[in-house]
Amino acid sequence: MPSEWEPRILAFLCNWCSYAGADLAGVSRIQYPPNLRIIRVPCSGRINPFFLLRGLQNGADGVLVSGCHPGDCHYISGNLAARRKFALLKELMKYAGLEPERVQFTWVSASEGGRFAAIAEKVIGQIRKLGPNKKLVKSHG
Amino acid sequence: MAESRQLEAQLRETAEKLLREKNVSLFVGYEKASLPFRTTPLLLTKTEEAPRLVWNPFCNANLSVYLPRLFLAPADARAAKAAPAPPRVGVVLKGCDSRAVAVLLQEKQVRRENLVLVGIHCPGIVDRRKAEKALGEHQALGAGEDGGGNIRVVVEDGTESTLRREDVLADACLECRSPAPALHDILLGAPGEAARTGTARPGTARTRTAEFESRPLEARWAGFQEVIARCIRCNACRQACPLCYCKTCIFEQNRPRWIGPGTDPSDLALYHLIRAFHLAGRCTECGACERACPMGIDVRLLARKLSAEVEDLYGYRPGESVEATPVLSSFALDDPQDFVTEP
Ligand code: SF4
Ligand code: SF4
Ligand code: FES
Repeated sequence: MPSEWEPRILAFLCNWCSYAGADLAGVSRIQYPPNLRIIRVPCSGRINPFFLLRGLQNGADGVLVSGCHPGDCHYISGNLAARRKFALLKELMKYAGLEPERVQFTWVSASEGGRFAAIAEKVIGQIRKLGPNKKLVKSHG
Repeated sequence: MAESRQLEAQLRETAEKLLREKNVSLFVGYEKASLPFRTTPLLLTKTEEAPRLVWNPFCNANLSVYLPRLFLAPADARAAKAAPAPPRVGVVLKGCDSRAVAVLLQEKQVRRENLVLVGIHCPGIVDRRKAEKALGEHQALGAGEDGGGNIRVVVEDGTESTLRREDVLADACLECRSPAPALHDILLGAPGEAARTGTARPGTARTRTAEFESRPLEARWAGFQEVIARCIRCNACRQACPLCYCKTCIFEQNRPRWIGPGTDPSDLALYHLIRAFHLAGRCTECGACERACPMGIDVRLLARKLSAEVEDLYGYRPGESVEATPVLSSFALDDPQDFVTEP
């Protein structure tokens, strides 16, 4: 039912910054649409591109990945190594004909509750505009 | 051309000598196959078998694919102690194959001291499918080179026909930028053959990538789907690739099972996206994968794009240096990040 459709968006958040940033957004009662399903990971460097593709295959309409700002990674360089992987993954997906807005990467620190909410709102809005993910989703049964 | 006859003789001599002087205990090369336009890998241990080695435009496998498994460490310490010393191996390498060995060394999958690398200046190899297509209705019974570097074929009624070399060269060879094996202990042949025959078109990979990229998003998706639609998930492309050496491939793991084993369109797309991604910054563009594909799929469609990105973003070309840190294991503080949402 397209009228009832609500985007489901996976959000992989690094424990040390972005997860705390999302928490701060909640504690500060900043409103943003409830379409994110948050998965806490130790570091953005822990994220295997396969996670994102599997998420889309299993019915997510989009994926948001957020880590500490470059230079602030708890493990020093996890997000810097991740940045190269993400850059290539995004290019690859675009090239293969997947909407680039479906997979987004960003940096949010533990003190940026407002920024987290703003980015969440923006990403959710973009994916809502794209409509349901049909390309990679696997039809079971 | 007569030259490859001569090279073949040199190659046999080289292998014979290496084995006789106990410089290597195993020599990996090519031998004649039972079908035209093909060769079979040959693993030699005896000097008297050296005459079975061949060198011709049908030597299309990337033989470095055999190397990592020869140096696999035993699972536990006790077994490691009891294990025989790893063999010293000689191997025949074209330009692209030698770059694959460089990546294997860089990733510590093989030991330099256990390798004797026999490089051959590569004049480009024949894509069997292109040759078969060029013959149309005819069935080839045998094939070889004629004096001018073109391919002479005997067809079913006994008549001979000639295929122009540049019409049947593999895509990877037409696109090749460095046919000389940079990494070698012994080097056979002379450089410049590809240039002399006027077949090399360096940069074609870029043109093809740009062409695909210029299509609108939906057309790219349709194009990607069309390319992979015939895939039967046989894994031949993975097996042929020297850089797909994981003991348990992620496509075969079942706890967790990352991806279905069949040809569901979503699984197919994931297979090709992930396979390409696992080779990002590693693929040496040898084309072994696409020549191994039984379905004639453009297996390197996505890999070509990733190679271009890796070079443009990070100025890195895989296989050029053994000492360099692999591109995805390194980073710079100022790596481009315009892809980031609100950077
Ligand atoms: S992906 Fe294909 S072209 Fe690249 S190294 Fe592997 S076999 Fe060669
Ligand atoms: S070799 Fe071809 S058919 Fe087999 S898995 Fe690779 S792309 Fe698919
Ligand atoms: S700990 Fe946050 S990105 Fe590494």
